Amino acid sequence: MKVVKKVGIILLIAFVGIQFIPTKRNQSDVVPITDIHVIYNVPKQVETIFKTSCYDCHSNNTSYPWYNKIQPVAWLLENHIDEGKSELNFNEFGDYSGRRQKSKLKSIASQIRDNEMPLSSYTIIHQDAKLSEKERELVIQWVDKTIENL
Amino acid sequence: MKNLKVTTGILAIAFVTLTTLSCKENKKENDNDNEHHSEMSTDEDHSKMNHDNSDGHHDEETTHDNSDGHHDEEATHDNSDGHHDKDNADETIDARDIKMSTEKNAATTPIIDAYFQIKNALVTDSKGNAAQGGTALLAAFSKFDMKTLTGETHKEYMEIAESAIEHAEHIVKSPLDHQREHFEVLSTDINDLIALIGTEKTIYQDFCPMASNGKGAIWLSETKEIKNPYMGSKMSTCGNIQQQIN
Repeated sequence: MKVVKKVGIILLIAFVGIQFIPTKRNQSDVVPITDIHVIYNVPKQVETIFKTSCYDCHSNNTSYPWYNKIQPVAWLLENHIDEGKSELNFNEFGDYSGRRQKSKLKSIASQIRDNEMPLSSYTIIHQDAKLSEKERELVIQWVDKTIENL
Repeated sequence: MKNLKVTTGILAIAFVTLTTLSCKENKKENDNDNEHHSEMSTDEDHSKMNHDNSDGHHDEETTHDNSDGHHDEEATHDNSDGHHDKDNADETIDARDIKMSTEKNAATTPIIDAYFQIKNALVTDSKGNAAQGGTALLAAFSKFDMKTLTGETHKEYMEIAESAIEHAEHIVKSPLDHQREHFEVLSTDINDLIALIGTEKTIYQDFCPMASNGKGAIWLSETKEIKNPYMGSKMSTCGNIQQQIN
């Protein structure tokens, strides 16, 4: 009983303690001129899909869930977002070379086609980010058309 | 006292739940890796077997090619009506004319050899060997001497290298089907690299109309014999030669 109490108190202190460790927040109000919808003609529907299903991890602006205020969730999300942005950043799409833009577009289509993206661990919490068959088709068609015209 | 216990319990449960939710994806990836590791040993055997088989067919295959002249016909067909060529350019990431550079450049050899290592691994469905090839390709790019390149050529080389390195990194860490997707774009990169600065090697540019979800894709090969890296070992002879350099 005493041991349980001690362990409990230690855990509680640790838990409270890590709340004070700051994390870098991925937030920005500016839509840079390198954003994908500035450099390509992205139809409104596709842009909305990108924004609701991809931008949380693949742009410079994440709309954070409430539990991001709690550690260690904040750390995990920070890593996820860093990794996501290094693979693909819709806000900085224009900074990629033409060669990489094509290759990124291809990867977007194939990840969506294979149901790899958005991640299932993400859509469990963000139900609205789940893509319907029609939405997937829409994105893939747009990507294919865009690559053809490049 | 009782309250404390209950609170701690709830906190612990919340903690565990959130952690498992966030880690789910990582775990899945690890599982996949394990699966592939266990497959690797069989893959290797498989690749040896295939090798034997393809060697056995080798002579047949080449005489076949020579006797019916199928590939030659195909090539003239492509050139004459120009239709097929245009389609290919639309369908694949428009690969440049590999014969653009006639320079016998030995500097590209390590890069091309590493690329062939990946290609040959994919022909035999070997994820592990393809990953090794990816590592070799990364090493080859890091050792490549860019000092001889100037101006526009240097800029283009940088773009090609940046893209190729990205795909090599993914080939190192991805499952087989993703390796093939990255290999597809990597093939265009290496093709354009050769068009840009040349090679001393004899290289064939092959085309598979079924790759990339039926859009078609090119790959480069060191042998005249068709060994398709996209469709798996069951369909390794599908495809045709489009171009030859040196």
